[in-house]
Amino acid sequence: MTTEQQEQRRTIRLPHAGIVLLVGPSNSGKTTLLARLVREGTLLATETVSSDQFRMLVGDVEFIDWKGRPKLEADVLYAEYQLVSEQAFAAMENVLEMRCRLRKLTVVDATHLYPDDRNKYIEIARRHHVAVTALALDVPEETLLARDAGREQPRGRQRVKQQAQLFKRALRSLKSEAFDASYIIKDAALDDIRFERKQNPLQIELGAGIDVVGDIHGCFDEMTVLIGKLGYELGEDGLHRHPDGRKLVSVGDVMSRGPKSMEAMDFWEMHVRAGLAFMVDSNHGWKIARYLDGRDVSLHHGDEKMAEELARYEAARGEEAAAEWKTRMRAFLLGAPSHLVFARDGVRHVVVAHAGIRDEFIGKQSKRIQDFCRFGDTEGTDAQGKPTRKEWHTGHRSGELIIWGHDVRPRPETAGLTINIDQGVVFGGELTAYRYPERTFATVQAARDYSGEADNPLARRARDRFAPPNLAKLAEGYTVETASYGAIGIRGEFVKAALDTVSHYTVPIEELLYIPPTMSPPAVSADERFLEHPREAFAYYRAHGVTTMVAEKKHMGSRAIVVLFKDEDAAEDYVGRRTPGTVYTRTGRPFFQSDIERELLERLRLDLAAASYFERHETELLVLDAEILPWNLKAKELIASQYAHVGEAAVMDRAKLLEKLQAARDVGRDVGDWLAETEARLAGARTFKEAFQAYCWDVEGLSGVRIAPFHLLAHSGGTFFDRTHQWHMERAEELAGLSELFMATEHRVITDEASEEEAIRWWEAMTADGHEGIVVKPERYMTRSGGKLVQPAIKVRGRKYLHIIYGMDYLEPDNLRRLKGRKSGKKERHALMEFALGMEGLKRFVRQEPVERMHECVLAALAMESDPVDPRL
Amino acid sequence: MQLIIRADGAGANMLSHLLAKNPNNLYEREEKGAKVRLVYTVCDEQRTEAVLHVSPDPIELVKGSPDSYDITQYINDREFVTSSLFCAYIRASLGTALNGKPKEAFAEWVSRKFALTLSFGPVASNLPEAIVEQLFAALGYEVEQERGEADYPFALKNRSSVRYITLRGSQTLQTALRQLFILMPVLDDYKHYFIGEAEVEKLERYGEGWLEAHPQRELIVKRTLRYADVIERYEARKPAIRQQTTENKAEQGNTSALGARHEAGAARTSEPGDATDAVRLAREMVKAAGDNAEEQSAEGAAIADGASGPQPKVRLNEQRYEAICDVIRGFARKRAIVDFGSGEGKLSARLAELAGVQEVLAVEPSAIARKRAMDRYAKLAERGLGIVPKPVTGSLFYYDESLRGKDVIVLCEVIEHIEAYRVERAIATILNEYAPHALIVTTPNREYNAVYEMGGAMRHADHRFEWTRGEFRQACERWRTDAYEIELQGVGEGHEAYGHPTQMAIFRRREETKEA
Repeated sequence: MTTEQQEQRRTIRLPHAGIVLLVGPSNSGKTTLLARLVREGTLLATETVSSDQFRMLVGDVEFIDWKGRPKLEADVLYAEYQLVSEQAFAAMENVLEMRCRLRKLTVVDATHLYPDDRNKYIEIARRHHVAVTALALDVPEETLLARDAGREQPRGRQRVKQQAQLFKRALRSLKSEAFDASYIIKDAALDDIRFERKQNPLQIELGAGIDVVGDIHGCFDEMTVLIGKLGYELGEDGLHRHPDGRKLVSVGDVMSRGPKSMEAMDFWEMHVRAGLAFMVDSNHGWKIARYLDGRDVSLHHGDEKMAEELARYEAARGEEAAAEWKTRMRAFLLGAPSHLVFARDGVRHVVVAHAGIRDEFIGKQSKRIQDFCRFGDTEGTDAQGKPTRKEWHTGHRSGELIIWGHDVRPRPETAGLTINIDQGVVFGGELTAYRYPERTFATVQAARDYSGEADNPLARRARDRFAPPNLAKLAEGYTVETASYGAIGIRGEFVKAALDTVSHYTVPIEELLYIPPTMSPPAVSADERFLEHPREAFAYYRAHGVTTMVAEKKHMGSRAIVVLFKDEDAAEDYVGRRTPGTVYTRTGRPFFQSDIERELLERLRLDLAAASYFERHETELLVLDAEILPWNLKAKELIASQYAHVGEAAVMDRAKLLEKLQAARDVGRDVGDWLAETEARLAGARTFKEAFQAYCWDVEGLSGVRIAPFHLLAHSGGTFFDRTHQWHMERAEELAGLSELFMATEHRVITDEASEEEAIRWWEAMTADGHEGIVVKPERYMTRSGGKLVQPAIKVRGRKYLHIIYGMDYLEPDNLRRLKGRKSGKKERHALMEFALGMEGLKRFVRQEPVERMHECVLAALAMESDPVDPRL
Repeated sequence: MQLIIRADGAGANMLSHLLAKNPNNLYEREEKGAKVRLVYTVCDEQRTEAVLHVSPDPIELVKGSPDSYDITQYINDREFVTSSLFCAYIRASLGTALNGKPKEAFAEWVSRKFALTLSFGPVASNLPEAIVEQLFAALGYEVEQERGEADYPFALKNRSSVRYITLRGSQTLQTALRQLFILMPVLDDYKHYFIGEAEVEKLERYGEGWLEAHPQRELIVKRTLRYADVIERYEARKPAIRQQTTENKAEQGNTSALGARHEAGAARTSEPGDATDAVRLAREMVKAAGDNAEEQSAEGAAIADGASGPQPKVRLNEQRYEAICDVIRGFARKRAIVDFGSGEGKLSARLAELAGVQEVLAVEPSAIARKRAMDRYAKLAERGLGIVPKPVTGSLFYYDESLRGKDVIVLCEVIEHIEAYRVERAIATILNEYAPHALIVTTPNREYNAVYEMGGAMRHADHRFEWTRGEFRQACERWRTDAYEIELQGVGEGHEAYGHPTQMAIFRRREETKEA
């Protein structure tokens, strides 16, 4: 806090944001001053609020005069004025809070004569991490009295004198109050004082672009290489400049742990001073700053190496040089901002903070924010007594890209709109730079592990990545934060069922990457001949603003996730085991017997390798969502004991009955309408019995097995949920061209009425042949309408096919009428949540996050499958 | 589902009077949402044929079923096959005939035998054709079994799983119907109702005069009443006749339950298509023979399925538990024990009774197994001996911090149920993270399978591997950390060349070894 006597000063600089309190009795010229500042362009008219203005807003009057009224009336009017004032202040404070939240400047025009009145605003400012300034207008009592006499509605001598007394008291206490700055302005000097607005010191124009460098930790050599790589050139003055005028930004922790902390600090100090670079505050920076400041701090976690370096420097260059260096660096480090906001034309693009930041802190300054940016959110401890890092980035919604370091990750890690660029160069990892607006990375590999610490976070992360998931976090129910759907809560009872599945039946946890989401059917058909029809699917998407759709033929096989690695080294890196890959079912169980799986994956790998697939796509792995045909490959037992068995029973029952009824009719007996009814039912039974046969054929080993991918889920570089389905279909075609095991999927793109009608005809012809039907998808997988996700896919099953779902007599009018009462709301909700979980888990896998983080998504999706939904939907 | 009753010869038309259904009308009634229909295809002095057909409401059938979220419930043979459900639907329509109470004028025909042809189906039965044949032949019928259409363009099944059965013989209508009311549900694979007193009475009433002497009586009773306690109740009601049956059984020899199993085995070897059915039947027969399912370890079942080799399993299980308990008794530290993969809690229950044990955590992922284990522990608590194990949801693939620092962790016949490559990580979690003072691991010794003459098969269908003594020793060496020492033992009756049926490894923390 700074308190200054201001008469001598000619310029007062108002903060860019926060609260300015005017302090002065009535008639001291507050409103006049504000009018002047607005006129001069220093303030916007909307940046001032006054109690009078709010009295008008809430109570229609500025002042109620009760003087000279009979006692009862005076009492009533006085009470009313009090009430209006009370409400006006409440409204004003509300508005003030909102403006603080929005990082606005607000000047409050009221007398603020009592300490409590002022304190209230100090608290509001603290709460919102903005500055609060007092501007006191010191006007002689005579002048006040004279001005009051000239007013339309004079307050009266007595009140003016009373206020003047209060003001004197206020002047005395103002200096000791917790304002960030306070100014006392003599009335006589007011006209000579210039008012200006400060810029937000945290906000910087992006200009030609920035290169944000991760935690350097004294790895000066690597840093020098990186800066050269980024195109900065060393000038004669010893400063590095980029020919395009780009600026360097450090996320902090330039020193400690590594070999050349002083050189690294010198570099940043010089470049920051020259306006060529920026550096934010950080935990090591703060520690060293306090050390240089002479505080009693104990140095560890590599800070002691910094002190040793300094001792050597002092020994070599003498005490004076060391003292000079210390002073320079102390000022540099203590002055480092908590974080920086890089903006283009006033719009925030990038936030740089060492250990992270919360949205409500961005662009603001306070002790709390400074602390948060240094250390991250470190409240609480885990079961082992280690401080838990809360995941601040899951709460980031305000749209800027947040670049941070502090927490070592093996590679740059994107989570939502946050990017971690501390790749542990001092631990033998890499030094990373993130370039904006190009959004690319540049890295330099460390020459070696300089830290000499047993607890190397890179090694620990690699070692712990495959650690089994912690049951305590899961078994009693938990919540998964998904980027696309927000928080998804899973109940303990369903989690336990899923735990059982994973413990007994599924492929290993590390290799269980993704559970395909369930898919909802459309609303029931308006056409009385159908239960489902494409028209309702198209209508659903159009109603949600989707203009382009892709309809894909739905193969009747068994859903499978195919994970294929380029080689076993890649597998070891991603799943911790030397394996060619995995093929598993929609519930995570192994799809094939292990020998057949191995043969299949080996053939796929050879086919793809022959076409240099992995090199061309720069990937170490391939994850596909696919249908594997034929149906009997996986479901033979189910088909035999269920569908075929029931079909045989129905045909036998109805054929035998028909025979008898015909015989009775032939000899002239009355059989009523039973004969016709039985004929129709026998036909239905035959349709049922034939319906599944189209999807079955003989296979021997791998011959006859076909994989129809419909979604390329991931390569090592990332997932493809943001691509169009036309693109996914092209990938399927590409794969079909590379291996005979793959097949492409017939599809149609729907953009208008004509293509919609064409797709319906296609569906009708296909389903008349007994094919299952189509899946209709919005052009892009992730489509939102009114802020909400729309269904990623809708299946429209054929009229014939539905016999094997709803029974052989479902088309009988009475049955169909009843079935049309079906409710698919729960199915739709599950589809969206499972979709969000699937994307989230797979992204975590590709980012090589700890298995536990991936598994919580997978387990949640499996748990949802334990929550019963009508399986016919 | 249908039943066709035909009578040939003089007086055939009396059938309509015994059924109390006018041959010139179509008969239809609603019974529990099902349509029950009867029509005569012919009715004259020499030939009368009544066709009784039921079509249940498929949507109604599913309602209220506890498994209504299982898709297979919707595509369901219950809608078509002759089962106890069918009997329930037609009972009221056939009431007059079943009770033998036609109009006074026709009463004499009740006890008159007709040349009957009874056709019914579709039948979904896991009973081999030979047994079906026996069931009816013993009652004097000539039996014809016809299979449904099963002509698929791909390899699916050798023949249809539904049958249509035609019986020909001389019998009164009442007795014939009563026999069918018992035997149609016996043939069927499934019962739809709760089995209780009503079924016991029905068996008594409808079985009167033919069931007690039936050579397959035991099978019929077993498949009608299903549960040991219900069967017991039934048998208790007729001590005199029970005596008679025992004698009967002694004479017949091969028609006991074991005989049925023998039949099943034969069916399996001659007709591979029926293998699953036969195996299932064999299991049922084994249980019917009085084997207590609870005492039957999973391995025991596997060996019994093979219907060959000795049956040492019950004893081996016991020996294994005893060996583990013995080892733990010798430990100085045994206050807290973790039983991983505790299943239904047999071992945990024993560990809880050991002196000095104050806590047993029974870790098991399966909710059903945990529930059964809890029933067992509840009995233990009633007895008041020792402490009561605590069921814990968990498995070797997850980390549970509450298992850290215990005295003993036991993996009894667990590791062979997970893929060999996953065992390593699981054991590492135990030794490094949970760090018990001792870890006891038991697993089958594959070499010993030669004694069982298993011909290369594993002891249980779910075993992912079975190791030789050398393989197990190597694995233990690989898992061992510097903090532990290993001791290997055999459990069960030893063999000179093949060692013991079970092998056991004891990992002990080094400082613990010194103490002990």
